[in-house]
Amino acid sequence: GSKHTTTPADNYYLARRRTLQVVVSSLLTEAGFESAEKAAVETLTEMLQSYISEIGRSAKSYCEHTARTQPTLSDIVVTLVEMGFNVETLPAYAKRSQRMVITAPPVTNQPVTPKALTAGQNKPHPPHIPGHFPEFPDPHTYIKTPTYREPVSDYQVLREKAASQRRDVERALTRFMAKTGETQSLFKDDVSTFPLIAARPFTVPYLTALLPSELEMQQMEETDSSEQDDQTDTENLPLHMSTDDSGPEKENASVLQQNTSLSGSRNGEENMIDNPYLRPVKKPKIRRKK
Amino acid sequence: RMNRKKGDKGFESPRPYKFTTHQVVCINNINFQRKSVVGYVELTIFPTVANLNRIKLNSKQCRIYRVRVNDLEAAFIYNDPTLEVCHHESKQRNLNYFSNAYAAAVSAVDPDAGNGELCIKVPSELWKHVDELKVLKVHINFSLDQPKGGLHFVVPSMEGSMAERGAHVFSCGYQNSTRFWFPCVDSYSELCTWKLEYTVDAAMVAVSNGDLVETVYTHDMRKKTFHYMLTIPTAASNISLAIGPFEILVDPYMHEVTHFCLPQLLPLLKHTTSYLHEVFEFYEEILTCRYPYSCFKTVFIDEAYVEVAAYASMSIFSTNLLHSAMIIDETPLTRRCLAQALAQQFFGCFISRMSWSDEWVLKGISGYIYGLWMKKTFGVNEYRHWIKQELDQIVAYELKTGGVLLHPIFGGGKEKDNPASHLHFSIKHPHTLSWEYYTMFQCKAHLVMRLIENRISMEFMLQVFNKLLSLASTASSQKFQSHMWSQMLVSTSGFLKSISNVSGKDIQPLIKQWVDQSGVVKFYGSFAFNRKRNVLELEIKQDYTSPGTQKYVGPLKVTVQELDGSFNHTLQIEENSLKHDIPCHSKSRRNKKKKIPLMNGEEVDMDLSAMDADSPLLWIRIDPDMSVLRKVEFEQSDFMWQYQLRYERDVVAQEEAILALEKFPTPASRLALTDILEQEQCFYRVRMLACFCLAKIANSMVSTWTGPPAMKSLFTRMFCCKTCPNIVKTNNFMNFQSYFLQKTMPVAMALLRDVHNLCPKEVLMFILDLIKYNDNRKNKFSDNYYRAELIDALANSVTPAVSVNNEVRTLDNLNPDVRLILEEITRFLNMEKLLPSYRHTITVSCLKAIRVLQKNGHVPSDPSLFKSYAEYGHFVDVRIAALEAVVDYTK
Repeated sequence: GSKHTTTPADNYYLARRRTLQVVVSSLLTEAGFESAEKAAVETLTEMLQSYISEIGRSAKSYCEHTARTQPTLSDIVVTLVEMGFNVETLPAYAKRSQRMVITAPPVTNQPVTPKALTAGQNKPHPPHIPGHFPEFPDPHTYIKTPTYREPVSDYQVLREKAASQRRDVERALTRFMAKTGETQSLFKDDVSTFPLIAARPFTVPYLTALLPSELEMQQMEETDSSEQDDQTDTENLPLHMSTDDSGPEKENASVLQQNTSLSGSRNGEENMIDNPYLRPVKKPKIRRKK
Repeated sequence: RMNRKKGDKGFESPRPYKFTTHQVVCINNINFQRKSVVGYVELTIFPTVANLNRIKLNSKQCRIYRVRVNDLEAAFIYNDPTLEVCHHESKQRNLNYFSNAYAAAVSAVDPDAGNGELCIKVPSELWKHVDELKVLKVHINFSLDQPKGGLHFVVPSMEGSMAERGAHVFSCGYQNSTRFWFPCVDSYSELCTWKLEYTVDAAMVAVSNGDLVETVYTHDMRKKTFHYMLTIPTAASNISLAIGPFEILVDPYMHEVTHFCLPQLLPLLKHTTSYLHEVFEFYEEILTCRYPYSCFKTVFIDEAYVEVAAYASMSIFSTNLLHSAMIIDETPLTRRCLAQALAQQFFGCFISRMSWSDEWVLKGISGYIYGLWMKKTFGVNEYRHWIKQELDQIVAYELKTGGVLLHPIFGGGKEKDNPASHLHFSIKHPHTLSWEYYTMFQCKAHLVMRLIENRISMEFMLQVFNKLLSLASTASSQKFQSHMWSQMLVSTSGFLKSISNVSGKDIQPLIKQWVDQSGVVKFYGSFAFNRKRNVLELEIKQDYTSPGTQKYVGPLKVTVQELDGSFNHTLQIEENSLKHDIPCHSKSRRNKKKKIPLMNGEEVDMDLSAMDADSPLLWIRIDPDMSVLRKVEFEQSDFMWQYQLRYERDVVAQEEAILALEKFPTPASRLALTDILEQEQCFYRVRMLACFCLAKIANSMVSTWTGPPAMKSLFTRMFCCKTCPNIVKTNNFMNFQSYFLQKTMPVAMALLRDVHNLCPKEVLMFILDLIKYNDNRKNKFSDNYYRAELIDALANSVTPAVSVNNEVRTLDNLNPDVRLILEEITRFLNMEKLLPSYRHTITVSCLKAIRVLQKNGHVPSDPSLFKSYAEYGHFVDVRIAALEAVVDYTK
């Protein structure tokens, strides 16, 4: 693929790949191969590259895990062990007699990443961030400039809007339902002005009549939880004030204790309930033939 | 006869035998598909006379396969005369003939007269055995197919097993109707202990009376048998059964109480029954007696015969009483039902009655203690309001039909001795009564108990109840001594004896007046103030010649509110004295600036400018404590009614004043009513009533009315936003008093009419805006009742259409206001299909509104819509509303 114009970075990667190819070829030679198809060499190169990359990635993770930035030997060792490689065989392998020595690849310059357009002053690190952390990005990447309009907060308009929105939705929905299903009409000559969705009997009529709708259930939960929040808030308030000295940890502990004792006693009660309808059903007695 | 001494207070059984130990009922097969039941009963009978050769039992609609007495096959005859009441009679097709024939048929099988539909011949081999008065065991195999009464099957037609479909069956019926589902002596006075066995599908639960001893699988493990034992002697009529795939809830406060409901309703059951333990505590405390049974079960079922049915140690309720915490209106109604059911556990189930004519005692006591519970739970105002309501009802009924007799005495069974010849039915049997009569009978019974309480004090009253209960519970623990069990039956004479023993008072005149004879009292009162003598000349007339009335002779309390205070006077109502002189305490207008002392000791400032300058009388009340079953029509001036409304603290007096003010459409009445409406301390029902009176007054004053339509500015002030008065606040129903007022005011406002007798446009737009801006998102409670009442308000605003030559109603000539109303009704009714409201209250209101539009000629009068909503499969409230609309076409 040299017909394309190549960048320095591309060259760098190509050179590295070429070196790997040489390594694979020499290892093949060492293993006694005289020739190999290009595709096979490519595949092996790919595998070798993946393997080395994985060692690098993994070693980096280990080192970062222990809050360092530079991998040490032990990181590499742990990585190799983790990858199922027997580390002890490595020195012997490195010193094997028939090994081929490859010349170091020609030193090419590290590709230079072109400097991004800087806009504005980068923010310096605040004191609690160590210096080795990357710098803040350019301000334009995170500074926001709101452009929307002020939301409408006038109560009357809001209520008006909510009311007409709901009405429109309900009207549209019921009209749609009426159009797509059976209808009844109050006027014989007209079925479309006031279409009534046809009355359909239920198989179990009391269920729909008694159970709260899902919407209501949701609403109930919301109002319930908000109420509970209010309650706990007000309940906690004096507690906070009185236990100012003892600190938050102690307080948490006492609350926890209370909770466990409560649930414990409740469980105990449940176990004690002796109600004939909760008792297990007995197995039939086996009749003995005389 | 047995060694019964004369004057023995024990109960004389009409039968030549009685039960000892117990009766076994075993239902071993229930087929929901075919709606059939197969089982047997075994009765242990103890002859009380020699030569007993026939045993009569009650049984209806059962097929009897086989009867054995002590293992010997016995011949039997089955005859139910009520199946063919008139015997092919074709000449006399009138109600009177039918009524007599029906009463005769019911008498012919009356267990309290020793009769029955099933007559069993004792096998001759056993005659000797009988002569020795030895025990007989009667074993009857029976089945039941598609029962028409007594046992009701609910089988939804859908896919799945019977349990998955929520199929269930329960016993039901009016009075003693246990004979509909198994052979028995179907009388409230024949007690015995019971062993009850039901074999049902393994996914189902059988709930019945007494203790569940054990549940055992059948050999194929597909069914299980529920074994119940009821060791407290109980009448067959108090035996009940409910079988279904019930969800089970053990009451968290009382583990011996178990609640049952149909699948998916458990959360509602939890909420609904969470209150029951308080009712238990209340009754046990006032009766100083523990609940008599070792357990209690509540079962909530669909298609209930009545909302509440009480049986020994269990009650069957309509599933429609269940509700979630979001529902306001149903909550007090359901709690009332629970409390009623529990009161009947003590009096009605545990204590039964000796005969039908003693029924009033049981209904009276259970109704009375239920009233005490109501007073404690909902307050004195609610209690007095309820008593007044019940009183008005019984008075209206008796004046209409001619009297309700609590304790009828029947002589010889001849028709001319009929103590209630004014009725078109016989009152000799519970089964010949009209339902309405029986409802009113119960109403009168508890009101009379309250009159007895007034006479002997509540303390003595409760002592009497306690005595009845403790005698009964001592008797109930006596095993195998069935002669003691009659202590568990209450009779009128026993009850009265107990009252006289406990209180030492003679209440015979009271009993004679209200229990032994029917009728109510109708008073007409008027007065004049004699300034010279400083005397109030009160005239009290009675109408005792109209049907349903009786003459009252005796004390009558009159309360007079004067400038110097409130004074009670007890007048003696006698044969020929109509006029009563009551000396007044205060001189007119003497102390202008002084505060006026009220009956309750409160002292208030009043604007006395409206008063008659010559009279010290502010208002007068006749029988303020409702100690007579009466109707009072009293005449006093409008300003007196206004003072009574504003300053009398008794809610009954306030309500009476409101009703009286309807006849005085003046600015002063308007002001008095508006002030009451605004007063937050005032009882909410009074305020609600004031709304409707205000609407009526406004209509009468329409030509002189100034300012916005009545109640509009008040409603705006109370319920609308401060900044935009045309928009109602988002719903918050935490304060129930204002919730009820918020619901009622628009309904009353819609009754306003302008000079053209139309609902003012302003009012209609106001109601439409309430609907438009209704916002329940932040509310803890459901607004379904509120929205339903807004629809009722729309219906109230409708006035007759102007019709030219009876033109056919079409869309083109639709009134624009009606168009707006129809738009709302259409949307509401359609939304109900997507988001149905609790008990479909909104559908119900929509149907009613549509009928109103039809009736007023805005919409073609076509019943087809109502017919479709009346079909089986719609919720019962909707069906009733639809049926009422259909029936309305006949009016």
